[in-house]
Amino acid sequence: MDELDLLKKDWKKSDDKFPKLSYNQIYSMILKRSSSIVKWIFIISILEFVLWTGIAFFIKDTESMKRFESYSNNSVYTPLVIIGYIILAYFFYLFFRNYRNISVTDSAKVLMENIIKTRKTVRYYVLFNLGYLVASTIAALFVEFNNDDILINQAQQAAASGEIFKFYAVFIIATVLMLAVVIGVLLLFYWLIYGLLLKRLNSNYNELKKLEI
Amino acid sequence: MKKELEHSFVELLEKHQNIVHKVCRLYTNNYDAHNDLFQEITIQLWKAYPKFRGEAKFSTWMYRVSLNTAITLYRKSKRRINTEDFNDVEFKIKAEVYDDTEEQQLKVLYKAVHQLNDIEKALVFLYLEDKDYREISETLGISEVNARVKMNRIKTKLKTILNP
Repeated sequence: MDELDLLKKDWKKSDDKFPKLSYNQIYSMILKRSSSIVKWIFIISILEFVLWTGIAFFIKDTESMKRFESYSNNSVYTPLVIIGYIILAYFFYLFFRNYRNISVTDSAKVLMENIIKTRKTVRYYVLFNLGYLVASTIAALFVEFNNDDILINQAQQAAASGEIFKFYAVFIIATVLMLAVVIGVLLLFYWLIYGLLLKRLNSNYNELKKLEI
Repeated sequence: MKKELEHSFVELLEKHQNIVHKVCRLYTNNYDAHNDLFQEITIQLWKAYPKFRGEAKFSTWMYRVSLNTAITLYRKSKRRINTEDFNDVEFKIKAEVYDDTEEQQLKVLYKAVHQLNDIEKALVFLYLEDKDYREISETLGISEVNARVKMNRIKTKLKTILNP
C-alpha cells in the first residue's frame, strides 16, 4: 500500500478529532478587524504629529518666530515644549500598546476591554491636545507681554491714560475668541478622523456585547 | 445587509470548519500555531467573502482561500521554520522508522509530510481530501498534467524522506 493511501485512510477518520468552534467563537474572530481600526488610530496619531511638527518647522524662519525665539526669558516656553513632547511620546506608546494588545487577543471579553481602553486613550489624547493648545497660547502671551517692546510700550501708554483694564480686556477677549475658533476647527478635525474610527470600533464592541449575553 | 452577510458567512464557516482545521494540521505542528493559522484563514475568508458569488461551491472556494493563506504565511515564516528543528525531525524519523505499528507509521508519515514545501503540502492536502486531478488543478491554478507530475514527484520525495 502506498504511503499516501495509508495517510488518506487516517485523514478521513480525523474529522472528529478537531475542536468544534461555535458560531460565536467564529463570529468573534471576524470582529478581529478591530485591530486594523486601532492600527489606524496609531498611524494617524503619528501622521498628525508629523503634520504639526512640519508646520512648526515651516514657520520657524518667519520674522515673528525669530523675534519670539530671541527673547531671553524662554524659561516658561521651553519646558512646556519639552513636557509636551514627552507626553505625546507616551500617547504614541499607549496607542501602539493598544494595537499590540488587540492584535494578539482572541477572547471576546479581553477584546472588549481593549476597545474601551482605546476609546479612553483617544479621549485623553484629544483633551491633552486641546489643553496643551490653551496652555501654550497663555505661555506665548506671557512671553510676549514681558518681552515685546511695542506691546510693553502700548501697555505703558494705556496705563498712563488710565485704560490699562480696557487694554488687557481687548487682548484677552481676542485671544479667547481665536482659541474658540481654533479649538472648534480641531474638534471637527478630531471628530472626522478619530470619531469615525471610534464609531466603527463601537459597533464592533456592541456586537461583541451581544455575544456575551 | 452587512449583518446578513456576516450571519451567512459565519454559518457556512461553522459548517465547513473542518476544512480549515485540516489545512492547519498540515501546515502547523503545534496547538498555538494551529489556532493562529485558523484565525488568520478565518479573517482572510471573511475579507474575500463579499467577492464569493457562489459560482463555485463554498467548500471549493474555501479550499482555495485557505490554502493560499497558508502558503503565503508559510512563505513569510519559511526561514524560521526550516532552521528551527529540521535536523531534529529528521533524526527522530530515522529512530522511529523501525517500529511498524500503524500508529507509529502514521506519525512518521505526518512528520515527513511536514517537511514538504508549501505547494507540495497543498497538493498532498487536496489528494488526501480525495480531490481528482481536475479539481486539484483548478484549486491551485496549475494544469492537470502539472498536478500529476508534481504528485508523482511528491510520492518519490516522501519515499526518500522515509527511507533515506
